[in-house]
Amino acid sequence: MFLQQLVNGLTIGGIYAMIAVGYTMIYGVIQLINFAHGEIYMLGAFFAFTFISFLGLPFYAAFLLSMACCAVCGMLLDIFAYRPLRQSPRLAALITAIGMSIFLQNLAMVIWGSRPKPFPQGALPAYFEETAVTFSGVSLSWFHLFIFAITLMMMIGLNLIIQKTRWGKAMRAVAQNKTMAALTGINVNRVISYTFALAGSLGGAAGIMVGAYYNSLYPTMGYIAGVKAFAAAVLGGIGSVPGAMLGGVVLGVAEALGAGYLSSLYRDGISYAVMIIVIILIPAGLFGKLIKETKKSM
Amino acid sequence: MKPILHINKVYKNFGGLEALRNITFKIIPGEIIGLIGPNGAGKTTLFNCVAGIEKPTRGEIIFENRGRAVSIGGKKPEAVTALGIARTFQNIRLFDNLTVLDNVKIGRHCRTRATFFGAVARTRGQQAEEKAILESANRFLEFVGLAGRGEEIASSMPYGDQRRLEIARALATEPQLLMLDEPAAGMNPQESRGLMDLIRRIRDGGITILLIEHDMKVVMGVCERVVVINHGQWLAEGAPHDVQSDPKVIEAYLGTGAANAA
Amino acid sequence: MGKLNLPKLSRGNKVRTGVLVLALMLPFLPFVTDYILHIVIIVYLYMLLALGLNIVPGFNGLLDLGYVGFYGIGAYTSGLLTVHFGLSYWLIIPLAFINGAIWGILLGAPTLRLTGDYFAIVTFGFSELVVLFLTNEIWLTRGPLGLPGIEPVSLDLSLFGGPKWEFVGELPYYYLAIVMVAVTVFVMHRIQDSRLGRAWFAIRDDEVAAVSCGISLLTYKVIAFAISAAFGAVGGSFFARWVTFLSPDMFKFWESFLILCMIVLGGMGNIWGVMIGAVVLVSLSEVLRELLPLLGMPVEVRFLAFGLIMVLMMRYRPAGILPIPAVAAQMKAGRVKRKRVRVAVGMKE
Repeated sequence: MFLQQLVNGLTIGGIYAMIAVGYTMIYGVIQLINFAHGEIYMLGAFFAFTFISFLGLPFYAAFLLSMACCAVCGMLLDIFAYRPLRQSPRLAALITAIGMSIFLQNLAMVIWGSRPKPFPQGALPAYFEETAVTFSGVSLSWFHLFIFAITLMMMIGLNLIIQKTRWGKAMRAVAQNKTMAALTGINVNRVISYTFALAGSLGGAAGIMVGAYYNSLYPTMGYIAGVKAFAAAVLGGIGSVPGAMLGGVVLGVAEALGAGYLSSLYRDGISYAVMIIVIILIPAGLFGKLIKETKKSM
Repeated sequence: MKPILHINKVYKNFGGLEALRNITFKIIPGEIIGLIGPNGAGKTTLFNCVAGIEKPTRGEIIFENRGRAVSIGGKKPEAVTALGIARTFQNIRLFDNLTVLDNVKIGRHCRTRATFFGAVARTRGQQAEEKAILESANRFLEFVGLAGRGEEIASSMPYGDQRRLEIARALATEPQLLMLDEPAAGMNPQESRGLMDLIRRIRDGGITILLIEHDMKVVMGVCERVVVINHGQWLAEGAPHDVQSDPKVIEAYLGTGAANAA
Repeated sequence: MGKLNLPKLSRGNKVRTGVLVLALMLPFLPFVTDYILHIVIIVYLYMLLALGLNIVPGFNGLLDLGYVGFYGIGAYTSGLLTVHFGLSYWLIIPLAFINGAIWGILLGAPTLRLTGDYFAIVTFGFSELVVLFLTNEIWLTRGPLGLPGIEPVSLDLSLFGGPKWEFVGELPYYYLAIVMVAVTVFVMHRIQDSRLGRAWFAIRDDEVAAVSCGISLLTYKVIAFAISAAFGAVGGSFFARWVTFLSPDMFKFWESFLILCMIVLGGMGNIWGVMIGAVVLVSLSEVLRELLPLLGMPVEVRFLAFGLIMVLMMRYRPAGILPIPAVAAQMKAGRVKRKRVRVAVGMKE
């Protein structure tokens, strides 16, 4: 039972990690909690659903196309909602973020209906259901392996982008000091847009996998997943990408074990509790340096 | 005479950067003492250590007030103000969106007591206190030359008046020691003269004044003693004219060649 | 015969007095049904809640996303005390106030040192935990089944040789709501123009300067949060005794957001603005609720509209319909630059 829960935890933890890095990257560059990030995750699932059901696209194509659409959605979110408020007090930006989150949730309800939908029949490769590996009473299906592989690939890919490419360096520069980054010739707005695109695509991918794995899509799925992923990002240290990855995995495992051994009713509560405790006791998280708010900017 | 403030071997590190190193000097009650030094010498850091915004890494700061000596290094800023040390800020920190009068009334906060219950119930004590706050606020405004301007919004005032308002607010906390951080910055000569006059009147009212200032006319004109620091270290101390001609000081401001030429 | 010496009323006060008189007379106007009274009572309830929440973002500049938690705690405490102990509502009001304040202090003390974003998230987590608790602890709250049979408010004058009068229908609750809102407005006005209110506005304007005037940030933020929570709980207590049935899904995050919308729309920090915000949003909500099915649009468009309104408000009029000067200047994009140029990039106080 323990190993099974551990595997479950690692699976969902990888998903949380993918959403969490999105939160953390955006917070890193514009010091804003993007409340609407969970909705991008949700849109990822619904885009894939639409591409498969109405355009007849195969799974992998829908997956990639949906990720691309989520990237665009992320950028649009930045351009229309957050960028105009770049100079505004934080309170205004936070309220805007929540407003966008609510708007997108309900927009999805209007477009796709509020009842949970199953992932399109027969969309997933058939062998996904089959067991790939068995050990110690735990069985992993190909789908499990697929999720692990994608998550791992994306984490490694993200790290490569951040550490090795020019854009990654630019992102890190903007995260550290926007003014200086601008002075060195970096187009700060464009870097922020790309960050949103990157965060959006990862979030969307997570959404597709969750929707397919649990075989259930509903417009409010981003709400809870978003909070949990945020908890993971805080746990790892907001602003730190490796921290978010680690935080996601830790939170996923904690949640699975907690739900398995303590109480499944408070499954979501575990994330909230972890988040509150971490924020109060170690606001900098495992890896992060708390970005001190300058006094007059609130 | 017992010093009103004794800064004793104070060190302040920010990570690897040593901003203050073994700073030691005393302030005598009733004097106007200047703290000067080149940009980045650590003057505002020292202010912040005294005022409680920073905590000294080592050393102590003793504040002697009404016969009691209190070590204030590491105390919270609100506690330091309550003990009797007020400060102004290099970049002026007024309550921009509040009225001039409210700014000064808020200065009275640490000397008044009314709470939620008093506010709601408007007890006789609370009403009396509010009346006293209003009267004293007006008196402080009059003292700095801003009488009758209570209803203006703080941020709409000219720069020089904003400085005066910040001083009025600091005075409203009834300090024994007033620390002014570059009060003459951005002032024209006429405003500077008015400021010097104000500083003298404050001192004549019984308040000791510690002054960071770059404007040498003000320093020479109003300070009785001057402490010079550079690179976070004490460099020289004494009467303004003596310090002005001290080769070490000249070198600190102008470089070695200038010292030799002096 | 002497002339009636009425005090000179300013124009603003004349308007407010007129509105008050209208409100008092409303139930007796010809076209007013119980349904309309019900809606207006909802408006009053949200006014009370919004005034309570207003303290935190309005006077203190902090975003509280968990207000519904206090509302829910107040409601269920009121409901449970009534169902199990038959407590009189007049006793419950002060108890709810104190209970709310205690929860406000408990939640606020460890969290108000945090930066604004974190504080917002923690309050959000708190309110979600409250809902989870209300849903899961069935032994206490009957969970999703809800808590029925809460006795209506009653006024027992038998001790003075008078009747015992139970509240029946909307009318008594209508006047009770007016009284409660009036008391709340009275308290808020008094606080605003006091040492406490000034301390809050100082903190909102410039924390470092506030501290240099001897104001302890944490103490005053906690006081604000506690008072806000207290009013939320009192609102909840009224709600419980009015609708006589409670269930956990009445206290979801959406309520916090809605009340926040009212404050933002009406004018953060402005007592009357906030009340107008409540009127506008409740009316809008009811109108949309009736209108949308007629237009063939799903009910979610209501929420969608509110989200969009908030985004647009923040973009174009962040201080609200009736802003107060302090908030208006502060919410404007791009702060007025200081005369002294900040030499080193990234130099902070």
